Amino acid sequence: MDTEDDTFSDDHDVSDDVVSSDSDFTPETNSGDHREKSYKVLSEEDIKRIQDDRIERVTTSLYVSSGVARVLLNKFKWNVNELQESWFTDEGKTRKDVGLAESRKKHVGTKKIEKLDQLNCSICFEDFVCDVRVDNCVLCDHQYCNCCWNGYISNAISEGSGCLSLRCPDPDCDVVVTDELVSVIVGGDDKLRYERLCVRAYVEGNEKVKWCPGPDCGFAVEYDDVVGSGEGYDVVCGCGYCFCCNCGEDGHRPVDCETVAKWVEKNNAESENTTWILVYTKPCPKCRRPIEKNDGCMHMTCRKPCGYSFCWVCLDDWGKHAYNSCNSYAGRVVKENNDEERVKQRARISLERYTHYFERWAANNKSMKKSFADLQRMRDENHDVLLAKHAQSSSQLKFVLDAWTQIVECRRVLKWTYAYGYYLPEDNIAKTKLFEYLQGEAEAALENLHHCAEKELTEFLRDGTTAEFNTTFREKLANLTSVTKTYFANLVEALENGLADVDSGSANKKLKTGSSSN
Amino acid sequence: MVDIARVQKELQECNKDKDSSGISVKLKGGNSLTHLVGSIPGPLATPYEGGTFLIDIVIPDGYPFEPPKMQFVTRVWHPNISSQSGAICLDILKKEWSPALTIKTALVSIQALLSAPEPDDPQDAVVAQQYLKDYQTFANTARYWTEAYAKSSSVGIEEKVRRLVEMGFPEVMAKDALDAVGGDENAALEKLCS
Ligand SMILES: [Zn+2]
Ligand SMILES: [Zn+2]
Ligand SMILES: [Zn+2]
Ligand SMILES: [Zn+2]
Ligand SMILES: [Zn+2]
Ligand SMILES: [Zn+2]
Repeated sequence: MDTEDDTFSDDHDVSDDVVSSDSDFTPETNSGDHREKSYKVLSEEDIKRIQDDRIERVTTSLYVSSGVARVLLNKFKWNVNELQESWFTDEGKTRKDVGLAESRKKHVGTKKIEKLDQLNCSICFEDFVCDVRVDNCVLCDHQYCNCCWNGYISNAISEGSGCLSLRCPDPDCDVVVTDELVSVIVGGDDKLRYERLCVRAYVEGNEKVKWCPGPDCGFAVEYDDVVGSGEGYDVVCGCGYCFCCNCGEDGHRPVDCETVAKWVEKNNAESENTTWILVYTKPCPKCRRPIEKNDGCMHMTCRKPCGYSFCWVCLDDWGKHAYNSCNSYAGRVVKENNDEERVKQRARISLERYTHYFERWAANNKSMKKSFADLQRMRDENHDVLLAKHAQSSSQLKFVLDAWTQIVECRRVLKWTYAYGYYLPEDNIAKTKLFEYLQGEAEAALENLHHCAEKELTEFLRDGTTAEFNTTFREKLANLTSVTKTYFANLVEALENGLADVDSGSANKKLKTGSSSN
Repeated sequence: MVDIARVQKELQECNKDKDSSGISVKLKGGNSLTHLVGSIPGPLATPYEGGTFLIDIVIPDGYPFEPPKMQFVTRVWHPNISSQSGAICLDILKKEWSPALTIKTALVSIQALLSAPEPDDPQDAVVAQQYLKDYQTFANTARYWTEAYAKSSSVGIEEKVRRLVEMGFPEVMAKDALDAVGGDENAALEKLCS
């Protein structure tokens, strides 16, 4: 996917570097919320453009070659202003610090040309003829043949980013190897690798830019502020992956980074007790045949002739779910009289409670990953199938992509609300009730949407009629998408407010409006 | 592929002045230029004086862009050299290597390391501790090891071992005891009896 146009901010200092064009990719999560900050997704091409631009600014203001400019910028983390300040304060020192000590060359102009044939390489000890292209970009007097330069530089490239601050092979010489020399000397894979390392240097040296942690993603994200220091907010990368800029976990609105870290740690500590939750097959509650979970939505249907329809998480009849989600945890009361028994029972109940939340967190996590893959597939192959069968243009299929985008986002939010629920004080009954109510509503809506986008859409990929696709189905899916979106917006808002409605006494009102809209 | 021509040149160059430098490099048997043995004299006015130290040299494929692999064959008591394996802790044999350096310059650096140990960056922690806390014992032990392993006439030691064996101690234990006390036969006997 091309992200040349994934520019989310207007007031950024590099916004001129990235060509903006009209984009249909505008993440829903980056609009109108006080926790959202602006950021920009950068492809390798974008980064190259930014680097070229800054190199040019440096070559024209400091009168140095572009190779020298790159060396300087690498050292100054690509901050042109800091470089200029240092340079104009003390050029000699700035040069020396990066291995650019001025005019090390003793031979200049005509003097050296006489000796051009008699050079002896200090690495292979063979005589060689001076290559003027090489000599022009070497800043010191040490002489190496092209072959040895190649061995030296490609060896350094194979060892990684150290090649960007490579010095002359002479152990007593600290003159730097510029990228002009590199491009004269190396080619092929080494050159590609070197260029990639140059790009990486921009991201790795810059505290405001981070790589997207998404699987196989090559994009970087540039923020307005230094990251990792403050409150987290969700970032949607050009690859579609959503992650928290602060802690790097996948996007976790409306839960804060601290809770996420606590929850992840808890899961690791409990992993021995909960591995059974992460299984892919469960026996059908009615006929006991093993059922494999391949789909994203929790609504399972056993094979014929059983055909039993149930919830993957709680194994209850799906029919009941329509009225009553299984999201709420019905805590049990400790009733043993005996002390020892009471301690044991407490421990069991505490594990049961954790298991309730973890099971649902894990199921939604898995479902989120599945639906993320489904969204990708919808963008690629299925989009074309639908286009060929039922639509004249891509814009007529936008409602399908919208639905899938919504599903991925909601699965992610829903997943984290289970971590939220676990840490909600058990004794605050009013808050727990409001939370479970909002979560249950949102979850039920999402299950309907997911089922429709996953199972009903399959029909139209095969042989459903175009008329139906463009009328009943479009209406249903678009409607479910918007309903689900509203429920989740309410849920996120309420949780980000710390369920404050309870305190202000408007909870009952909320409960009423909520159920009347159902 | 090793740069064979360069290694050949290095060997010629190095052995040209071996009489003055005392440093020489030979093929390790066979005629492969990738496995060599270097020889350096122990520096004067050090516990290594009078010894001749052999160093195993393996030339890797990437030479001279990768450093040669060197380790002592002769056992030596030194903070930056493993008393067990002969492994050497020296920056120019690792990240400070440069293709403008040679086998000869590396051997010269190793010789310099014998003169000036760097106990703060040790290879052998036991030796380094001793060097810092009890220099005299360190010097005695190093001198004894030079005597025992780095001289062609290490006969005296054989003799001491033989006498201890005659007293009824196993040869290995006798050697270890002598190693541990710096070659003093009486001290070794005391140690064996304790
Ligand atoms: Zn050469
Ligand atoms: Zn130089
Ligand atoms: Zn990404
Ligand atoms: Zn976070
Ligand atoms: Zn069944
Ligand atoms: Zn259920």
